[in-house]
Amino acid sequence: MHGVSNSNIDLKFLIGGPQGGGIESAGQIALKTFVLKGYQVIGTREYQSNIMGAHSYFTIRVKPERPGAINFPVDAATVLDAESVLTHFTDVKKDGFMVYDSSTIKTKIKTIAPMPKPLKERLIKFFEERGMEPTAESAVKVAEENGVKTIGLPMRDLIRKVASETSAPLSRVSKTLNTIGLATTLYLLGVEPNWIEKAIATHFAAKKKVVDMNILAARIAIEYVDEHYGGPCCFLPEGPHLGKETMLATGNEIVAMGKVVGGLTMQTYYPITPASDEALFLEGHRNFELAPWAEEVLRLKKLGAVVLQTEDELSAIMSALGAAVAGARTSTSTSGPGFALMNEAISLAIMAEIPVVITVWQRGGPSTGLPTREGQQDLLHTLFSGHGDNPKIVIASGDHIEAYYDAIKALNWAEKYQTPVIHLVDKYLASTITSLHREDIDPLKATVERGKFVENPGKDYLRYKITEDGISPRAPMGKVPLTWTGLEHTEDGMPTEDPIVRDQMIAKRRRKFETIAREIPDSEKVVLHGDPDAKITLVSWGSTKPIILEAMKLLEKEGIKVNFLQLRLFYPFPVKPVLDVLTNAELVIDIEQNDLAQAAFLIRGYTGFTIEHFVKKLTGRALWDTEVAHAVKRIVETGEKEVVVSGGA
Amino acid sequence: MARSWLDYKTDAWVQWCPGCGNFGILNALHRALAELDIDPSNLVVVTGIGCSGRSCYYIKGNTIHVLHGRAIPTATGIKIANPELTVIAEGGDGDMLGIGVEHFVSIGRRNLDITVIVHDNAVYGLTKGQAGPTLPSWWQTKALPGPNLHDNLNPLLLALASGYTFIARGYAYHVKETKELIKKAIEHKGTSLVQILQPCPTYNNIMTKDWYEERIYYLDQEDPNWDPQVASIDDFKNKMGTILEKMLEWGDKIPLGVFYVNLAKDTFEQRLEKVIPTYREYPPAKRPVSANGKPLVDPWILFADKVVKP
Repeated sequence: MHGVSNSNIDLKFLIGGPQGGGIESAGQIALKTFVLKGYQVIGTREYQSNIMGAHSYFTIRVKPERPGAINFPVDAATVLDAESVLTHFTDVKKDGFMVYDSSTIKTKIKTIAPMPKPLKERLIKFFEERGMEPTAESAVKVAEENGVKTIGLPMRDLIRKVASETSAPLSRVSKTLNTIGLATTLYLLGVEPNWIEKAIATHFAAKKKVVDMNILAARIAIEYVDEHYGGPCCFLPEGPHLGKETMLATGNEIVAMGKVVGGLTMQTYYPITPASDEALFLEGHRNFELAPWAEEVLRLKKLGAVVLQTEDELSAIMSALGAAVAGARTSTSTSGPGFALMNEAISLAIMAEIPVVITVWQRGGPSTGLPTREGQQDLLHTLFSGHGDNPKIVIASGDHIEAYYDAIKALNWAEKYQTPVIHLVDKYLASTITSLHREDIDPLKATVERGKFVENPGKDYLRYKITEDGISPRAPMGKVPLTWTGLEHTEDGMPTEDPIVRDQMIAKRRRKFETIAREIPDSEKVVLHGDPDAKITLVSWGSTKPIILEAMKLLEKEGIKVNFLQLRLFYPFPVKPVLDVLTNAELVIDIEQNDLAQAAFLIRGYTGFTIEHFVKKLTGRALWDTEVAHAVKRIVETGEKEVVVSGGA
Repeated sequence: MARSWLDYKTDAWVQWCPGCGNFGILNALHRALAELDIDPSNLVVVTGIGCSGRSCYYIKGNTIHVLHGRAIPTATGIKIANPELTVIAEGGDGDMLGIGVEHFVSIGRRNLDITVIVHDNAVYGLTKGQAGPTLPSWWQTKALPGPNLHDNLNPLLLALASGYTFIARGYAYHVKETKELIKKAIEHKGTSLVQILQPCPTYNNIMTKDWYEERIYYLDQEDPNWDPQVASIDDFKNKMGTILEKMLEWGDKIPLGVFYVNLAKDTFEQRLEKVIPTYREYPPAKRPVSANGKPLVDPWILFADKVVKP
């Protein structure tokens, strides 16, 4: 299966199962195994709006350098329940393998209660057309016909075997089901047992009994595979990063880390998918020890940050704004529906000039829509949020590393420019785990800035002092009497409807945004990836970035040379750099996960340039590099206006 | 030298209608602040939208005029960020009990040390006299095209059920008595409510000065032994019947005064201190955010739970 060199290694596999059945845990063990072995990984989770029982799956890709995307078909699938077998039996490539539970294979499709009705109907029709019984067993047969090696594990027997060798009750032992399936898969992919055992030990860490039981389960699985399937054909060589400390973090976690490093002192939130995990991670790390360099300067060992769960999103944003006027460095975190509730407060924050970062984890809408699925549908919503004329900074991150640094930058910008900063991220980023090395998130590369924050304002302090750069010094509450307001105001914060002052204040706030546009370098507003002279330009934003970068490599192999304009800052918008690239291209293709092609709409408004070709994915499932490459190729070859891709169960 | 109430006045023109109950409430607040000698630099007043929302421009302190219904969550953020500040949230019955009622309830669950003052005139004055949440059903004040179809809400019972630990009711034209209630509310450690009945001479032609003054009486004048403090399970058993009865009394007689004080519950600040040991000394607003512009933490140490070590 694999050669001696690790440079061609590109492994893809999935683990499927019912929600609440340990799929996440198995995925993490798999990622740790390959990281320990010196590879880089991504793993992404697809799940339904359900706590327990509905089908979910974890897809992993392993390469010597950080993989930018997943795609199908995969090399291996661990599908231990009938629903998983039936959902994924066509997801495995020829010569790949599928690990299933031979003891539940007779299950009929119609008896699988959690399976969505449309999928049941499609599957029943599929098997009827082939004259096959509508069962999981038929799915295994089809996979075999497609050249997939099927590995049937008698799970009931294997679990009993594990139980017989430990003193633990059967109910606990049956939790090793995923370990048995995963160990089988990893072993067949060429991972030596000692690495699997090390990953299990790392994952369950202090829980020694759990470690021992899972290692036993893995050994029993491997013995069975050796006995019945002759073991793996060859062994996976060690990766180039063997022995390197590696962080495995989701997008939710990396943003939380960026906030703590960026000096966040208070976060507010109301529970919503896919945002809440960020706040919970922050809460889990709210007390911290200062790094040696900070301890030396401040002579302080420990500090903390407050994470406040509020009664709703109105309260989340308003208590964040309250904390900010008191002098805290503040953020809140939500998704589209929660952000909709925050709209009025965005307008207040702009008028009253209150710094706050709002992290918006987009998901599939409209309305409750696909609450646990990917979407990039809130670009226009966030950019045009709030009533009245009101500009705000909107920045979209393309990957984990950008999200980490953007979280720090957003806090800096909010305080420097005393304005809301909207940090746009999405579900795919939220639930994708990536491997990161020290150089990727180096704390000393980040700077923390507060702008014109004045600790000791004088008696003559004016909250809304008219200045040349449009930015007034900002004093926290608790120093001198001062007034903040959402009404139009004079320099001292007193309300006024005077026409002359109104114009002066509008001009002051406009100058502030001119300052922002000037001070943020173009390189942080938009990035052109690839050859600037390529004749085909792909345009996109957000978490599609690494996927498109992978697709560019695939296209290059096909002889199609493209570059990629990644939009980062949507306000203030970099009109000239964008227009320069677009007018230089012969073909421009916009790639987005929303039906309106929202970024293309904005580009037309800002620059007058009309994009004519589109690639879209609207199913809420992760976008694949191969899908992008195929769609772009099709547009290049046929001149089609729009290609909608829809891969993934 | 102690401060005078004049030290809390601003030079802004007070824009309320002649005879507005807000004048009495503002005056009582100024005097309460002076008698407590609260440093205006350390005082925070957060107001919502409506006639009472303008109060923040008439009080010298750190003031902020926010959105309709959102004074309490703003005050919540301020107080948590800097617990040393004296924080007051003010709004009308529409602001606090209509559009902002979820916050009115939720602050009680925290027992954060904030004083909530509800200017209660039972109408939406600034939008010209619509029915407020405390206007009884079938009453028709003069700007209404038909009778009010909604029942009136009982703010005292709502506060009690929500967990407020100080609950009082005053009357706007009784400046001296209202001042005393506000003082006690500010001094109370925990979430306190002062509902202040307030005639609106422009739009509420039913609940007028005369209407109120025929009905109101003070709990501690009627019963010199009135003691609203609940400090133990026994107190709770012995007193809650009478307290509830008084909170429910509304009609020919309307009681005023302090209805309920609970000193047994910890404040939100104390709860935060239990989970964040550095909170009291370094709350979010008074904490370093960097070491000369460099981050305070090393993610590779702080987030070691996410690091796979070879």
